[in-house]
Amino acid sequence: MNAEEKNNLKKEITELIIEVLKITHVTAAEVPSNAPLFGQDNPLGLDSIDAIEIILAVQQKYNVRIADQNLARVILESIDTIADFLEKELDNVEK
Amino acid sequence: MNNIIDFQHRMAAHCETGTLTALFNYSGLKITEPLVFGIANGIFFGYLETDNFPFPTFIVRSRPGQIRKNITSRLGIKLKENTYKDVAKGEAALDKLILNNIPTAAQVDFFYMDYMPDWQRVHINVHFILVTGIKDDYYVVSDSYYPKISELKKESMRKARWAGGHMPPKGFLFYPEKVPTEIDFRKPIIKGIKNACRNMIGLPVPFIGVKGIYKFANKVKEWPLLARDTEHLSHEIMKINILLEDQGTGGAGFRFMYASFLQQASEILGNNNLADMSKRMMLNGDEWRKISYFAAKIGKNRDLGPDKLAELSELIRKRGDEEKSFFTDLKKMV
Repeated sequence: MNAEEKNNLKKEITELIIEVLKITHVTAAEVPSNAPLFGQDNPLGLDSIDAIEIILAVQQKYNVRIADQNLARVILESIDTIADFLEKELDNVEK
Repeated sequence: MNNIIDFQHRMAAHCETGTLTALFNYSGLKITEPLVFGIANGIFFGYLETDNFPFPTFIVRSRPGQIRKNITSRLGIKLKENTYKDVAKGEAALDKLILNNIPTAAQVDFFYMDYMPDWQRVHINVHFILVTGIKDDYYVVSDSYYPKISELKKESMRKARWAGGHMPPKGFLFYPEKVPTEIDFRKPIIKGIKNACRNMIGLPVPFIGVKGIYKFANKVKEWPLLARDTEHLSHEIMKINILLEDQGTGGAGFRFMYASFLQQASEILGNNNLADMSKRMMLNGDEWRKISYFAAKIGKNRDLGPDKLAELSELIRKRGDEEKSFFTDLKKMV
C-alpha cells in the first residue's frame, strides 16, 4: 500500500465511523488521523459502546475481525492505528 | 536493590491465560494462549442468581483459578503459589523472587494499575500481572492488557495486592517451579474438549452450560421486575456488553479464543473436522458480539420496553440452540 492509498484508507475509515455512528458535529476532514478516538477530549466524542459498533462496521466492510478488546483498545486508538492494522490484515489476505 | 529480568512482553486477550502463557513461554514451553484456554476447558456459561451478587449476572469462562489448576495438572506443570496476610512479608517475598530472576505473577486490583488510562481503570480484584523487575520505588510489570512493559509504584502495587472487597487478592503470588519443555499436547487437548462438552451440555444443573444460556434468555425478560428503576435496568443491560467483550474475554465471551484453540487443535491432532468447528465457533462468536452490541445500544438509549427485551431474549436463545448443537457435534469428534 503506497502513501496515497494509505491516506485514502484513513479517509475511508473516518467517513465510515462518522456514517455508522451518525456523527454530525464534525466532518471527516476535521478529524486529525492521529487524534485519540477514546478517552477525554476525543474530537468525535466516542465512548466504549461506540467501540463495538466500529469493530462490527470494520468487520462488515473489510471482512477483518478484531477479536479481543485488549487488542481493540490498541487498534482503535486513532484513525492511524486502525489504518495500520487494516493495512497489515489486507496485505495478509492478498498474500 | 534493583534488578530487571530480561522478559519478552506480549499482549494477550485475557489476564489469567495471558499470564500463564507468558510464564510457560519464559520457562521454555512453546504454547499459545488459546491452547492454554482450550486445554484447561476455560469455555463455559453460567447464569448466576445468588446472594453473592446484587443482581443476576452470567459468566462466560470457568471460575478464576480453575484454568490454572486444569492446565498445570494436564501438562504436568508445577506452580508455587502463596498468599500473604502480612504485607511486609508479602512484599519481601516478591522482592526476593525478582532479585532471584524469577518472573512472578501477582493477583491485583486492576484499578491501581496506574499505567493504564484513567478511563479504563475499574475495581476488579481478579486481575493478574507479571512482575519482572524492581527499579528504585517501582516494580517493572508485564501486564497482558497493556501494549508495553510498564512501571508501577511500589505503593500502588501494595494497594493492588491487598485490596479489599469481593475475591480479595490477599497478596497472592505464583510462579513456575517445573515446566516440561517437550509436551505431547494430543491427550490434554482431547481431555480439554471432552470436559468443555461436559460443562456445556452434560451437567444436570439448570444454570450451567447451554441450560444456563436458555435460563439467561428467559430471565432477561424479567429483569425490569428486579431493577430499581430504568437507570438501574439500563446499567445492568449494558453490563451484558462489558461481560461479553470488555473484561478480557478473548472476544465475544471467549468464543473467538475457543475458535482459535479448535483451529490449533485440528492442526495438532490432524483432525480437519475441528477446523470446521473452529469456523463455526467463530460465526457463533460473531452472533454473541451482536448480542453485546444490541444490549449496549438499547441500554444506552434507555430503549428497554418488553419488545426490545423479547428481541434480546430471542437472540440469546438462538445462541443456546447453536451451542447445544455445536457441543453435541464436538463431543462426537473426540
